[in-house]
Formats: sequence, structure tokens, C-alpha cells
Amino acid sequence: MKIVLKNGLMMLVAALMFSACSPVERKELGAPRNILESIAGTWKLTKATQVDEDASKKGFPYKELDITSLFPYTNFVLTLNLTGGAPGTFTTTPGTSPKIIKLASGNWTVDNAEYPKDITLTSGVITEKISLGGYPVGASNTLKLKVERSVLLPAGPKLLISYSYEFAKQ
Amino acid sequence: MKKLLFSIFLISAGLTVNAQNPTFSPSTFTAEDQVTLTVDLTGTGMAGAAQAYIWIFSNPDLPGGADGITNGSWGNSSAAAEMTNVGTNKWSFTFTGTTMFGQSPAQLKSFGFLAKKKDGSSQSPDYKPFFFDPLVFVPTMLRIFPAKVGSDDVVTMNFDRAYGVSVNEQRMTPVTATVTMFDETGAQVGSPLNVTVRSTASTIWSASYIPSISFTPGAGHKLAKFKYKFNGTLLDPSGATITVSSSETEIIFTTMQ
Repeated sequence: MKIVLKNGLMMLVAALMFSACSPVERKELGAPRNILESIAGTWKLTKATQVDEDASKKGFPYKELDITSLFPYTNFVLTLNLTGGAPGTFTTTPGTSPKIIKLASGNWTVDNAEYPKDITLTSGVITEKISLGGYPVGASNTLKLKVERSVLLPAGPKLLISYSYEFAKQ
Repeated sequence: MKKLLFSIFLISAGLTVNAQNPTFSPSTFTAEDQVTLTVDLTGTGMAGAAQAYIWIFSNPDLPGGADGITNGSWGNSSAAAEMTNVGTNKWSFTFTGTTMFGQSPAQLKSFGFLAKKKDGSSQSPDYKPFFFDPLVFVPTMLRIFPAKVGSDDVVTMNFDRAYGVSVNEQRMTPVTATVTMFDETGAQVGSPLNVTVRSTASTIWSASYIPSISFTPGAGHKLAKFKYKFNGTLLDPSGATITVSSSETEIIFTTMQ
């Protein structure tokens, strides 16, 4: 009787374990996100931050400053256009804002179309390079750009100041 | 008595030798400065060696240590770790802390090293710890943010009353800051600029401006430096409000790209 009960119990446990297994339904990943399309558009500046990179590196107490309200930065508008899915022209409309990008118009390119890190703005022979601090993702419509300021030393460039700019899509 | 004196002499001699080996040039250095160390390996396992390789490490006996990027592996030191022979059993090596360890000045407190053969078959004892000069923030009455600026940057001038030197500076309530601009010839550019201050902490007032927006140099010239001071008010012994100014300080622009 005990053996029957023992075997029955083992079969019950095995049945429960098997019934707990079920095939996992894996959903399609979908097409890769087109970052250039998410970057393109008209962007208005919402936040400007100045960072003393040298002070940060040395662990000094005064490292960064929110400069958004010190000057009318929020008037600055940047438009990035695509041409056939590739970077095309750009325009900047500073209004009364400091010119965080000095070029008024021209063409823009990226270092990597799939995973861009740097944007190069060109107008004639003049170029300006800005770094992408963050892409607009999902519900977030924020584009983050970073401008770095370095001093040239014999050993190479030394980063002293950076500016981080956050834009909202219009 | 003779034995005691002899022992004291030996101990003193040992301490003296220890204090002078290794030597550093410059004698004090921060983690961002290039320094050349020279070590005498006489009496160590490396005495008489034809070649010596440094094995260097940061923050010995402290948290946050790292191996030097030139170390290579113990059984095969990298060529970049080879020391320079500067005399019998004397070897030197030049490095910069931040570059050597890939750490920031805030992370780097000290370092240690030993000398070894390329294959690790012989080595000197450890030489440690040697401390980097701290890159310390020194609070002052007048301070700009960022500490180094170009003429296109947002410049924030700060006045901290807690570090006022004169009685007036210790008592005044700043209202404006005055900026006087100069070009590379030392000639004044435009008229002095008065900027309204804002209170940013209990004893700190700040004023911001962008040099290239507020000042235009003459044709063929560029903005080179500026002087600034804070102006404010205080009550004199009779209770009347009087206007006073802080001392003035000069800032030279850094050329940046």
C-alpha cells in the first residue's frame, strides 16, 4: 500500500512539473530604430548647463551651473532636415539667445548613421562639431547635445568646459 | 656604550639612505605633473642587472588602486616599462600619474613601484608609498566659474563675504559687479560693464556675463583679459547707508577650441 502511495505521489509531482512547462512565445523585435529620423525636426532649447570639467576631475566643490535662466537660451531653435533619409540641411534661429551654434545654416552629417555620436555642422569651409548626449526615445521627446571646450597642450587637448543643451521637439 | 653609539649610527645611516632613495624630479608633484623618479638598486635583487623594468601601482594599501598601463605582465614586462640607466645600479623612469594609471587626480592619492627584470626572475623590494600633491580647492572672496574661461564662455563672478579681507568686504551687501575689459595690447575695450548680482548662498553673490556679447574689441584686436569687482552697500556707524566696493582681481582668458 505504501509503495502504491509513494509511486502515485511521484507521478503526481511529475505531472505537475510537466504541466508547468509551456512554450514561451517570443515576440518579433521589429525593425531597428531609425535614430536619424528621431533626431530630424525642429527643436527648441529648454535647458542649458555649464560644467567645469577640470573642477569635476579634481573633485572641487563648484562643478556645474544651470545657466538656462541667466540668458534667454530658451529662444534658441535648431532645425535638422533629412534628405532621402540621410542628414541634409540645418538652420539655427537664436532669437535673443546666445549663439550656442554659431553657424546660421548649412549641412549636417553624423559620424555613424546607425549609432550617431557626433554631429558635424558645415557652412562653406567652417565646421562645428557637437556631441549627441541622448537620443529622443519612446515617449521622451528630448534631444541632448553637448559642446566641449578644450585647451591645446603639448600632450594633446585638455577638456576644460562643457555645455549640455536639452531640446524639446516642436 | 660604543655598541650603543654604533647601533644609533647604523640606524641613522639606514634612515638617511632610505630617505634619499628613490629621488624625484621635481621634488613635489601633483597627479597631473610629469615626474622623473631615480632609484638606486644597489644591495637589492636587481643589483648588477643589465636592464630594469618598472612595475608601478597606484594607491598602495588604499582603496582604488590600479596597475600602471606600462606594466605588461609579470613574466613579460612591456617595452614602455623599461627604465633608463643613469649610473651603476641607478635607474630612472618618467611618468605622469593620471596618464600612467588612467585615474583622475581626485582618485590618485599615492603610488608605489618596484624594479624587475623583464621576465620577472629578479626584483627589487617595493618602494612605497609616495604621495601626489593634492589638488586642493582653496576658497577665496572673489572666484569665477568656470575657473578657466574663454571670451565666448558664460563667466560667472562670485563674491563670498565669508572670505572678505577688509572690514567693508566682510560687511557689504553686493548690488552690482563691475567688469573692465582689455585687449591683447592692454588697452581698455569699451566702457566698464555693470552687472546686477543675485544671491546664490547665504554669504555668496554672483553675476554672470558673456564677454564676446558684452564687449567688442577694436578691428584686428581680441579680448584678452578682464578685471572685476563687486559694489554694494553697508551701514556706517551713524546708521547711514554708504556705497563700497571690494578689491579688484584680473582674469586672463584661456584660448580654447
